[in-house]
Amino acid sequence: MEELLGYLHVVVLPQVVDALIIGVALALVALGLTMIFGLLDVINLAHGDLYMLGGYAAFTLLGWGAGYWSALVLVPILVGIVGWGLEELGIRPLLPRADRAIVTLLLTFGVSLILRDVAQVVWGTETYAVAAPFTGIASFADVFVPTYRIFVFGVGVAAIFATWWLLYRTRIGAVLRATAVDPPMVASFGIPIRWVYGFTFLYGCGLAGLAGVLLGPIYAVFPTMGHDFLVMAFAVVIVGGMGSVIGAVVAALLLAQVQGLASLWIPPVWAETLVYGVMLLVLVARPAGLFNRLGEA
Amino acid sequence: MLRTSTLLCSVAIVALASGLGLNAYAADPIKVGIVTPLSGSYAPIGKQVRWGAELAVKEINAAGGVNGRPFELLFEDEEANPPVAVRKSEKLLQQDKVDLLTGTVNSGSTLAVGQVAERNNRILVTTVSYAPSITGAQCNPNVFRVNANAFMQSNALTSWLTKNVSGKRYFFIGPDYEMGRSTVSAFQDDIKRLGGTDVGSAYPPLGAKDFTTYVGQIRAARPDVIMTATAGNDTVRLLTQLKEYGILSNKLTLAGAAGAVTQENIGAMGGAGEGFLSAAGYSIDIDTPANKKFVTAFKKEFQSDPDLFAADTYGLFYLFKQAIEKAGGTEEQKLRAAMEDASWETPQGTKKMRKGDHQAIVDMVVVKVNGSDFQTVGKVPGAEAVGPDKCEKF
Repeated sequence: MEELLGYLHVVVLPQVVDALIIGVALALVALGLTMIFGLLDVINLAHGDLYMLGGYAAFTLLGWGAGYWSALVLVPILVGIVGWGLEELGIRPLLPRADRAIVTLLLTFGVSLILRDVAQVVWGTETYAVAAPFTGIASFADVFVPTYRIFVFGVGVAAIFATWWLLYRTRIGAVLRATAVDPPMVASFGIPIRWVYGFTFLYGCGLAGLAGVLLGPIYAVFPTMGHDFLVMAFAVVIVGGMGSVIGAVVAALLLAQVQGLASLWIPPVWAETLVYGVMLLVLVARPAGLFNRLGEA
Repeated sequence: MLRTSTLLCSVAIVALASGLGLNAYAADPIKVGIVTPLSGSYAPIGKQVRWGAELAVKEINAAGGVNGRPFELLFEDEEANPPVAVRKSEKLLQQDKVDLLTGTVNSGSTLAVGQVAERNNRILVTTVSYAPSITGAQCNPNVFRVNANAFMQSNALTSWLTKNVSGKRYFFIGPDYEMGRSTVSAFQDDIKRLGGTDVGSAYPPLGAKDFTTYVGQIRAARPDVIMTATAGNDTVRLLTQLKEYGILSNKLTLAGAAGAVTQENIGAMGGAGEGFLSAAGYSIDIDTPANKKFVTAFKKEFQSDPDLFAADTYGLFYLFKQAIEKAGGTEEQKLRAAMEDASWETPQGTKKMRKGDHQAIVDMVVVKVNGSDFQTVGKVPGAEAVGPDKCEKF
């Protein structure tokens, strides 16, 4: 009995704490993905590569002598602007088309490949470590957590609440939610829909950039980092409900726990498979996901 | 106007023709296909392989080539992924008609490409893979290995560790495929034989991002020594994350396979690899004129220090040169015979090929990471480390 408690304490509990932190970061990537889908019906396959861009931008800014704090502020803005440019130049012209779901999927897939190759040309194929702004370790009841991970958790939670507040407590949020349901009606009020769409991309991609800066010191940066993360983020969006903000957060926390805990007992590769198993089950039981779309709740 | 263009055309034709003429008269190059990871987790290793090959070829070609024929290198990215390595090596053999293959890093790639080479009647030499099976249970008449294998590393390293480290509790980590599993099992066998205790092991997948899963397990096992067979960027993430979680301390000894901590990934670790011990067939501080010459030339060419992969790949081209000269060409049967009983000079000294299993006998050095350098702390002769010939196929 004591041995079991010891095992739960030393092995299982730290894993739960760690998965919670990774879950929050995963939620940031999934939030942008789900917002863009909820408003524009666009599946942004380049989203993971914008996360990668965030990691590399932080690495480069730090290399130029900028402090971590300025990178934390600047990088999401930079990545947001890239995302906005993607919407302005790539997505917008395709939106009037009837087959926009599939053509934008192809477009963002192409952009994803280009971004990854550009990263390989500019930064090479090696992995780079991003220096954490502080090191050290905190322990609560003999569970050790690096202080930087606590910081990531804090910033992530703050960003999630800010997003919730923006969507549900501000006028901009009301416009966004209304646009998700009935764009022509919103337009008829004299609100320029193109700016709403542009803002959605700016904000959603900015969140991916933020996740890139936050996770850079933990996972290091490399060209395929976005791809690895995107697949997981998609599972999150599907489980949470395509276009659901609350669903994205809940599903991110849930799937991170599934993966984290499962990898204690089965090989991590299979833990990933288990995550997709959960995704399939949700698709079978509730094809629309666990939560409702943006604007419908 | 017409005249100008006619003139330009004829100049172009002349230039082209003379170019073609030159090619036709120059000696046929000896084409060497290098299937090595140029991207992904093992990219840093592929880079050293590439540099080692380029330097050797530059020197040999400048000195007149092999019987007047220059070496020509053709690179393909194997992504440390056996199916990709097979596809790329088929392309090199069928389309580019290469005479020899080398460069494979992932042991699974070496085993798979070895079969491709055998089907195409060509020779593959690995300068990096250290899974014992390559020259053991799964040995192949068309595959040679010039670097030290996991048995040799384990032999040399574990005998040093058990003599010099007082703690007896050992924890093992290896990537979840042929090389990782076999290296860890070699470490485990030797440590147990020498009186150490196996307190646990973990097998993360190749290219794992998150090693924190194992932190609790390691903490619970209270090891005195952690031995790892991870390589390239995996070791970077493993050691930085262990450091982040406060596992590393001066009471814990880090050790592992020769490819775990190298010149190429040590910089990215931010000091987490300090004190890491490994046994390898090469160390940059080997004090011989041949090695000094190699290191100086390498630094001048690439502004970077060579590691064991570069040294072993560099040395291989001198084996190629010697064997092709002896065989009078690159015909498979004769070349194999010439390589099988070869002794040749490399930066680390004379290497000897063992005919029975195609494993080169290499003197081993135990090295310790000190800052960004590797210091030799012990030596084991190759004949002592190499162990018995376990190949039964030829």
